[in-house]
Amino acid sequence: MAAETRADAVPAWQRGGVASWLVTTDHKRIGILYLWTALVFFGLAGIMALIFRTQLAKPDSTILSPQHYNELVTIHGTTMIFLVVVPLLSGLANYLVPLMIGARDVAFPRLNALSYWLYLLGGLVLMLSFFAKGGAAQAGWTSYPPLSETTTGHGQDLWILSLHILSASSLAGAINFLVTIHNLRAPGMSWARIPLFIWSIEIFAWMLVIILPVFSAALTMLLLDRGVSFAGWNVQTHFFNPASGGAPLLWQHAFWFFGHPEVYVLILPAFGIISEVLPVYARKPIFGYKAVALSTVAIGFFSMLVWAHHMFAVGLPTSLQAFFMISSMVIAVPTGIKIFNWLATLWRGNITFDTAMLFACGFLGVFVVGGLSGIYLAAFPVDWQVHDTYFVVAHFHYVIFGGSVLAIFSGLFYWWPKMFGRTLDEKLGKWQFWVVLIGFNLTFFPQHLLGLEGMPRRVYTYANQSWEGYNMASTIGAYVTGIGLLFFVWNVIKTARSGPRVGNDPWLANTLEWYTTSPPPPHNFDEVPYVTSARPLYDLRQRLRETERARVGD
Amino acid sequence: MRRKPTLFAASALAAALLTPAAQAGNGGFAPIAPESPNAHSIHQSYLFISIFTAAIFVMVETLLIVFVFRYRRRRRPRFEEGAPIHGATNLELLWTAFPVVVLFLIASFIFIKLPGIVDVPSAGVKGQLEIKVTGRQFYWQFEYPNGVVSIDTMRAPAGVPVYLQVTSPPNDVIHSWWIPALGGKIDAIPGRLNHTWFQVAKTGTYKGQCAELCGLEHANMLASVQVMRAGAFDSWLFAEKTAQVQGTSTLGKQEWAGVCAKCHGLAGEGGIAKAIAGSSLLTDPRAIESIIRNGTTTPQGTMPPVASGWSQEQVDALTRYLKEHPPSGS
Repeated sequence: MAAETRADAVPAWQRGGVASWLVTTDHKRIGILYLWTALVFFGLAGIMALIFRTQLAKPDSTILSPQHYNELVTIHGTTMIFLVVVPLLSGLANYLVPLMIGARDVAFPRLNALSYWLYLLGGLVLMLSFFAKGGAAQAGWTSYPPLSETTTGHGQDLWILSLHILSASSLAGAINFLVTIHNLRAPGMSWARIPLFIWSIEIFAWMLVIILPVFSAALTMLLLDRGVSFAGWNVQTHFFNPASGGAPLLWQHAFWFFGHPEVYVLILPAFGIISEVLPVYARKPIFGYKAVALSTVAIGFFSMLVWAHHMFAVGLPTSLQAFFMISSMVIAVPTGIKIFNWLATLWRGNITFDTAMLFACGFLGVFVVGGLSGIYLAAFPVDWQVHDTYFVVAHFHYVIFGGSVLAIFSGLFYWWPKMFGRTLDEKLGKWQFWVVLIGFNLTFFPQHLLGLEGMPRRVYTYANQSWEGYNMASTIGAYVTGIGLLFFVWNVIKTARSGPRVGNDPWLANTLEWYTTSPPPPHNFDEVPYVTSARPLYDLRQRLRETERARVGD
Repeated sequence: MRRKPTLFAASALAAALLTPAAQAGNGGFAPIAPESPNAHSIHQSYLFISIFTAAIFVMVETLLIVFVFRYRRRRRPRFEEGAPIHGATNLELLWTAFPVVVLFLIASFIFIKLPGIVDVPSAGVKGQLEIKVTGRQFYWQFEYPNGVVSIDTMRAPAGVPVYLQVTSPPNDVIHSWWIPALGGKIDAIPGRLNHTWFQVAKTGTYKGQCAELCGLEHANMLASVQVMRAGAFDSWLFAEKTAQVQGTSTLGKQEWAGVCAKCHGLAGEGGIAKAIAGSSLLTDPRAIESIIRNGTTTPQGTMPPVASGWSQEQVDALTRYLKEHPPSGS
């Protein structure tokens, strides 16, 4: 009897053994696969960070050899970007895009499954490269040649292979999102009525379609430069090899033409999550829907024109540096619009501080630091001082951890009931939020100061005793952050066992995914309401209220 | 009662942020004190930007905290709707224009300061000194106009504009030249010639290190600039020229410490490369020269051609030093 009840509560698409997950083409299952896989990689890359933070806690440590240190920072960075943040966002998008636009699935479900399996394959190749002859790649996640061409062993080759596979995966996923959003929207859902998260995924996908081919081409050139032998053919090119007349800076241009928009690929969907969460917990419409949507488009566009601000120290002509300074500063304008519109969304609201909202407000408070430190990096003479120091490390962790990761946790707490039918534990969630917030700031704030005092990034050790205090603080902070994230693991396990079940719409939210059951049936919707605004569920509740009022009036 | 954990957490956060800032040696939130006009202008640009970033930071965080406390639910029903405000075009135009103005001011300030940062001051009566800086795995080589060479430690005269030509050999990798007190960094890129400059009034030693990941010993690719009184510098440069020609200078010792010891250990005891103390090759100048000029590959690993392009004087300085001071192994 009890078993039967439980089976009833779990919908058909979530039942079934391992085999059913291997062959699934359901976007919800694929989304969940993405999330679990990315969370496992998150744990691995986090452990890598704890290892090298331990090495850096004190000057002249010998816990790690220089080679192991370089391998760990390279794979930590590559993993966090390509195997953690992008897939966490892709996982959420996979689950949510069809539901939020009222579709039954993505446009190409089998291609979607291929995207996931390629992602897993690429991730395994990267992790297993630690066991390759000569160890994993050691040239940093940016892998600048000639350094990345001079290392022996196969780590760098496997790094290239892994990123080739991951690029193909992301490209297929991006095309799938685009076709889905363009063609499968619910009746009445015009472009001015799609949820802001969908706007962010639309731009995220467009950016990936534009930048990934450039990256793949550069990766292929790097691979050929390193030399390829196949069936008696030996190919050895010299694109980036200065000893044979190649141009090492060509890689940097191609890499950053991809790499800078990639940062916005990581942050735009996070913005989208915040734009969904704030209105629901403040009980207000988003302030300035059009401005928030348009600023997403503007950020996506301008992000393609700023790549050389990563190259201010290579000796570009001053006029070029001036251009890239101004284009980089221009991005601050749409970003500012978003921040002010989010703040205005809180204004005169009725704010409930559930964990999702705590993470969203934490995001606002922390992300602004990453945005402001970016202005120093855009001003090229100032960048000549802080470039390639811990100031930059602090900056991009404020953006990617303080920005993307906090927003992703906000999204996970918000959508968890929809995905699994149970709400995550609020008490554990709040512990997680505060411990992570304190640990994160303790880790990365002192790194600004280390950079200003002259500590370059990617050094396996340092002799300067005056850097010890900040480094020790940073390492302690890293462990605190790690403990904070364990609360989430505990929470997930606890919720799976005994989390309270919820109905269709526990938060009285605005978007279509809350119209169906939690979790949704395999086909998502029995029927989709006609969409008349950007808040279809709010409209439905209003109509219901009016009908009731009319009935009472009778 | 319910607010206490929040207050506690907030104060813990503030403490976590302020403790490291308070113990900072150089005023905390600014770069290392500048000692050259270009570094000084960069420092001023940094402070100018900080006026705005600090103001915006305080404004955003204040609004956030005020709104969070002012508009929290308290005793209202959970799902009571807040004010139905969809936007306010004029307000939104205002906060679009505000960053534009701020960024215009910052960019203008940068352009005003730019000539003082990139243009080398005119030489004046004291003349200008030109030094070639070559970044290599994992040492800095400095070549003075009269052919004198030094490794990792540059000597320079006080009060004179010093013009640096920065590069890396074609078979090497990218490095980045950076002495924080003397200006921004400039990459040493194989096959490209970059330049920067400094002019220091105070004598003293200014430290820095390679700022672009260049391989296993990137962290130990340190550099320092020793600024001397102009007269003392001139006599040192003259005396060093004679010493290097006659083979009596400390160049061999600098090469051992800067070029060999970073991988093989200061006493030849081994490090990321194998131990070489006691090797019979060390006292064989021809064998040494062949290995350091051309590199070699043995089953234990690859020795890169660390001395490719060195003058005969440079090579002899090292072989002579090794003969006189064979590494002891401990």
